[in-house]
Amino acid sequence: MTPPVPPPAPYRSVSTVLTLVVPLALAAVPLVVARAWEAELPDPVAVHFSADGPDGFSSLAGAVWPAFAIGAVVAVSAWALAFFWGRTAQVRRVAAGSALGLTAFVSAVVVGTLELQRGLTDAADMGGVGLVLALAFAIGIAAAALGAWAVPPDAHQPATDPVPATAALLDLGPGEAATWVTHAESRTALVVGGAVVVLQVALALLLTLPFLLLPAVVVAAIVLSSTWFTVTVDRRGLTVRSALGRPRFVVPLDEVQQAHVVAVSPLTEFGGWGYRVGRGGRVGVVLRTGEALQVERSGGRSFVVTVDDAATGAALLNTLAARTRIG
Amino acid sequence: MLFRVDPASTDPLFTQLAGQVRAAVARGELTDGERLPGARELASSLDINLHTVLRAYQELRDEGVIELRRGRGAVVTAPAQDNSELHAAVETLVRVARSLGIAPQTTTALVKEALR
Repeated sequence: MTPPVPPPAPYRSVSTVLTLVVPLALAAVPLVVARAWEAELPDPVAVHFSADGPDGFSSLAGAVWPAFAIGAVVAVSAWALAFFWGRTAQVRRVAAGSALGLTAFVSAVVVGTLELQRGLTDAADMGGVGLVLALAFAIGIAAAALGAWAVPPDAHQPATDPVPATAALLDLGPGEAATWVTHAESRTALVVGGAVVVLQVALALLLTLPFLLLPAVVVAAIVLSSTWFTVTVDRRGLTVRSALGRPRFVVPLDEVQQAHVVAVSPLTEFGGWGYRVGRGGRVGVVLRTGEALQVERSGGRSFVVTVDDAATGAALLNTLAARTRIG
Repeated sequence: MLFRVDPASTDPLFTQLAGQVRAAVARGELTDGERLPGARELASSLDINLHTVLRAYQELRDEGVIELRRGRGAVVTAPAQDNSELHAAVETLVRVARSLGIAPQTTTALVKEALR
């Protein structure tokens, strides 16, 4: 039996605008600006900077075209990701967020550093670029967030096919309710992240530098939101919730086609650990190598989470899903 | 771990829940310091009354299986213990009872009587 051909990713025109059209326009901004400012800029212009000031110079074309090329490569890759693998909203969000964020950041850096050189005869006389970098970073984050927000969420698509006869089931009485609760965690990341937070707090207290508490809070939030998840299978479906409560991923029971146990290799299949988009547009919380619970969802979507005893979770999810298909 | 409640069973729901936690601890599936889901969370997940879960948790606390802490929920306090001999004996019991064609209810009744 050949597996059914998954349906094409939805919202392809929106994805094309968010990952290709707007990012390419953003990447082209420095080209236009460079042309307009050409007469006021020194030749060569500064393109590389150290703490002491500019330390790398280039012609104006050499300053703006490589940046455009980087932006174009990022935009085209993100577009391909969203267009071909973007069956899940999360994949389209990652694509739109990275394409818009990266092109906005790069263009802001180029335009900002050129602006500092306007009216100079020797680019070596320009000041520091710290403020430009900070501003560009903020612009990049804002563009990424805006892009992710603009992506339309998946429509609710109740599965219509019955749960396959080959799916593992649990012996559950007709009126019996069941809940399976477990954890997905990365002990290594928890220990390392925790140590970093403790070190930052200790430094902040010892050196009486209270502003060091800010990065400690940021790191703690990142660790709590990405290394420890509660995984629940119940009458509502599959819920994967971080220790902070957010992010939270839900596969509603009526969208479950089949759940099964898989072996996951984070580096080769997902390019790393954490909340990831994998080959083929599979998304998941992948915190270690090995056993994982994978849910095939309506619309050709797959969600995976690394847990122990995934067989019990898969069997319960199949059993509860089968109940919703009757009548 | 797997929690299940069957309204068709003769055992009350809180007894079913408490029994499952006890069994999970005995099997080594739940270890010392592990946290059980919050009572409110578990009740809404199973679509049962909050007081049913609280009653099960209170029973387990009175037996010293879990500790109930404000803000931290229910934490397993069972010391690590090797129960492999018991599991082997239970497996043997089940096998023998099945091969003799004895009904599960009869077998559990015999075990309950012997434990008295």
